[in-house]
Amino acid sequence: MQALTSLFRPASVAIIGASGKPGKIGNIILKNVVASGYPGRVFPINPKETEIEGLPAYPSVTRVPEAVEVAVIAVPAPRVLPVVAECGAVGVKHLIVISAGFKETGAEGNALEKELVSTARRYGMRVVGPNCVGIMDTHTPLNASFAAGFPNKGEIAFISQSGAMLVAILDWSLLSGLGFSKFISLGNKADLNESDFIEAAADDPETKVILGYIEDVSDGVRFLEVATRASRNKPIVVLKSGVSQAGAQAASSHTGALAGSDLAYEVAFRHAGVIRVESMAELFDLALAFAKQPIPKGNRLAIVTNSGGPGIVATDAAEEKGLAIARFGKKTLDALRAALPREANIYNPVDVLGDARADRFRFALTKVLEDENVDAAVVLVCPTATVEPRDTAKTIVEVSRSFPEKPVFGVYMGGEILETGAHLLTEAGIPCYTFPEVAVNAMRALAYYGEMIGARTDEPLPEYQDLDPERVRAVFAAVRDDNRLVLLGSEGAAVLEAYGIPVAPTKLATRAEEAVAIAEELGYPVVLKVASPKIVHKTDIGGVRMGLETPGEVMASFWAVMSNVQRALPHVIPHGIDVQRQAPRGTEVIIGVTRDVHFGHLIAFGLGGIYVNLLKDVSFRLAHGLSLREIEKMISETKAFTLLRGYRGQKPADVGALVNIIARVTRLVTDFPEIAEMDINPVFAYNAGALALDVKITIS
Amino acid sequence: MKSIYLIGTPDSGKTAVALGLALKLRQEGFNPGYFKPVGSTAGVLDQRDEDGVLMKTVLEMTDDLDTIVPLTAGSFYVSGQRDPKKCRDRVLASYQQIAGRFDPVIVDGPSFPWVMASFGLDAFSIARDIGAGILCTMRTKSDFDFDAALFFNHYALSKGLPLVGNIFNNIPRPMLAKAQGVYAQLLESFGYRLLGVIPSRPEIHAPTVAEYYDVLGGEILTGEDKLDLLVEDVLIGAMTIESALGTLRRALNKAVIIGGDRSDYALAALETSTSVLILTGGLYPHINVITRAKEKGVPVILVHYDTVTTIEQISKVARRIRPGDQKAIALALENVERYCDWPAILESLKT
Repeated sequence: MQALTSLFRPASVAIIGASGKPGKIGNIILKNVVASGYPGRVFPINPKETEIEGLPAYPSVTRVPEAVEVAVIAVPAPRVLPVVAECGAVGVKHLIVISAGFKETGAEGNALEKELVSTARRYGMRVVGPNCVGIMDTHTPLNASFAAGFPNKGEIAFISQSGAMLVAILDWSLLSGLGFSKFISLGNKADLNESDFIEAAADDPETKVILGYIEDVSDGVRFLEVATRASRNKPIVVLKSGVSQAGAQAASSHTGALAGSDLAYEVAFRHAGVIRVESMAELFDLALAFAKQPIPKGNRLAIVTNSGGPGIVATDAAEEKGLAIARFGKKTLDALRAALPREANIYNPVDVLGDARADRFRFALTKVLEDENVDAAVVLVCPTATVEPRDTAKTIVEVSRSFPEKPVFGVYMGGEILETGAHLLTEAGIPCYTFPEVAVNAMRALAYYGEMIGARTDEPLPEYQDLDPERVRAVFAAVRDDNRLVLLGSEGAAVLEAYGIPVAPTKLATRAEEAVAIAEELGYPVVLKVASPKIVHKTDIGGVRMGLETPGEVMASFWAVMSNVQRALPHVIPHGIDVQRQAPRGTEVIIGVTRDVHFGHLIAFGLGGIYVNLLKDVSFRLAHGLSLREIEKMISETKAFTLLRGYRGQKPADVGALVNIIARVTRLVTDFPEIAEMDINPVFAYNAGALALDVKITIS
Repeated sequence: MKSIYLIGTPDSGKTAVALGLALKLRQEGFNPGYFKPVGSTAGVLDQRDEDGVLMKTVLEMTDDLDTIVPLTAGSFYVSGQRDPKKCRDRVLASYQQIAGRFDPVIVDGPSFPWVMASFGLDAFSIARDIGAGILCTMRTKSDFDFDAALFFNHYALSKGLPLVGNIFNNIPRPMLAKAQGVYAQLLESFGYRLLGVIPSRPEIHAPTVAEYYDVLGGEILTGEDKLDLLVEDVLIGAMTIESALGTLRRALNKAVIIGGDRSDYALAALETSTSVLILTGGLYPHINVITRAKEKGVPVILVHYDTVTTIEQISKVARRIRPGDQKAIALALENVERYCDWPAILESLKT
């Protein structure tokens, strides 16, 4: 977003609420701006002062004789609104509202925050915060925050919904030497949110990696669009909190966010190419790797070690993370065999033995990196008696420079003895970790990112010509007229039919005679299923009768089902009984949809039948931007796919027919956002074709 | 006949029918009055019979409420030191006063017709004493309800009471066809008259948030101005948020009862069709819950008892039409006009 350039690189900054008293927020911010070496004009605003920290102070932003581009507001909440209006009047472009006392404090604060945004909008100003720490840009340089310290110059932009997290990371980075391009504290995200800053960081030439700590996403659809675009060129690594139940509550209570389902975030991040991490440590491990190392061409890892045990641990970790242990070419193996001691293991992991000095590491690392079957290397160094930590580090750096396309990671397994070497590696841009799993995890993230940007395709779903949205609208209208949100089975079947989804013919009978008439029309055998929006698990209460072959059976079953329901759920009055033509058995799968508050519809595919809940063999995608290829991938991710391909001599099922159903379901929920939930369970997949048997739809 | 006695069971909507009928009679030039021999006091705050208050207001009756509703009875009335004879005298005297000023008198029955039989003051006995015709108002949502209606007719007949007829009231949609078909035929095959089948309409039959508040008491944290929202379903939040979402989505205009500390659940509920959040245990919710509820226009009631007690309490909640509720009052009239054979009821008053 070009418009945000002037936020990070303004010609002038006013600090409203600037103070001369040390320790006051208004004093810290002013000092930070000045101390960061900000080259633009700085205007402290305070009605009671004429000079602060050696700069002339002004009673109001309206009295500043020059144009003000960015105003940092640090006055108490009740005084923010008039100040915002003044800023608007004199043409300020961006506001950084540090002040707390808005949405996070309740309804009144929420109203104040809304007013803040609408006032800013009226003047065309954008707002960071409120209730934030501020922003920093090491390249401008500008420190418009009240954080203690200013990061080293670097290529990582860090966007944080937690101010405390931001200042903690800042302090840590100063110790570790990691550099940043930008620090952004989102605060309450009343106006500018994570999507805006991801977009800005994507366009920022000084930023190579985008890091985020977020508790929720303000606008799911925009996030998907922005992040999908940005992740093409720059890795986005995000720590999203609120995974646990308690975490979700803490997150929701933190800055006023309504935490959406964690599953939806998981799927959305994958969809947008965002790399999600589980811990703060991982966030920065990956930051380092992405900032300093190239993206590998593949996932084949070579391991060079001076001891067997760690080599095996690293191999196990790599396999578990889905990396391939590279198989070296003959040339490499011959060279290694010729030059390494006889006891050395020349196969991956290459064990150069405990007496290895730097030269042996150099040889082995060079040989494996030369191999075209290797995409990346990890060098494990254990503190043996002969180890040369510094020389080995220098060697690794030198060798790695000859292979700029292949990432190299160091693992210095130890403490004191290895410390200088480890430091040398980090300084030279080779991420160096204490344990192999961490290196493997970093490599996995790099490989995942490489694979993802390579595989991106966006071809949309086909334009179906045989859809009948009018019919769906009519069904939904009738359901609403009946004061319901849940469709009966027959209504659900009609909706599927209208979207060209093959479904077993189903009709509602309110009387036994009617059921018989429908059975005659559809043809025997038939299934009877109780029809009620109040009954979710029909089978459990004896609400389903199958394999009915005669009018007599239908008649008797009608009453049997009705009395079963009455016995199990005395307060539920069924709408009647769905009569369905019984379909031959196929491979049972389920297709489901649920609507997430942030990201819209989530499509699920998995194995059907009675073990659904036990096996949890389900894969998910967002309906947003779903392509046929992604649907195929989604199906192939499940264990059900093994069954569908023809397990143990069974005939393979028609996967194409399932793709077609999922694609049409996706179109249906896209056309009808009021569908809150949908469950087609089961779908029978046949040798040729597939058929939906039972569908539950909930609208809102 | 000078009066019509409405009998039925608790949720059959006798008062709504009485109201609609009274308004219709007024339109037709009559001067109807209302009498409820045995009242009940449902509210925690208000100890008056609310049906009596409603009818007194709507029909502009100047009689004391104690005359319109001379007795009230709770489920332990027998143990109270009351004299059955005095009670009976009081009922009859009150009736005489009202019958002297109004014609006809619409007599509203107690929750069940047998209430106060121990004092000889069950609905049928009083009907006999005052010479009223029986109008059986039943919510026939199952075969057993229909059986009850049939039984009341048989009983009245065996006691020699005049029968005005039957109204099936507040019938859930899935049961409409059956009420109009199967039950109607069956009733008539026994020689009883069906005077109307009134479908259930949430606007008049579903309780409002105000009724929940009346029963529960507690603190209204937000939404004081939204207490007229209808509550058509009740959900108890005793599951994980993931499994709850489906349930929350399926229920329309619901009351959600949850511990005040379940902010996650409360926020999820607010994203679905919710009429009121009832927070239990006296635990104040996170500020976000109130903020969001305010934005969504959903009242939040904080009660100080636990969830189990709360659920027990809300079983007492019933829809009452309030004197100021013009919409419901109009609907009560419309129901009688549209779905009932009111001319036949008028006719029965002439005999």
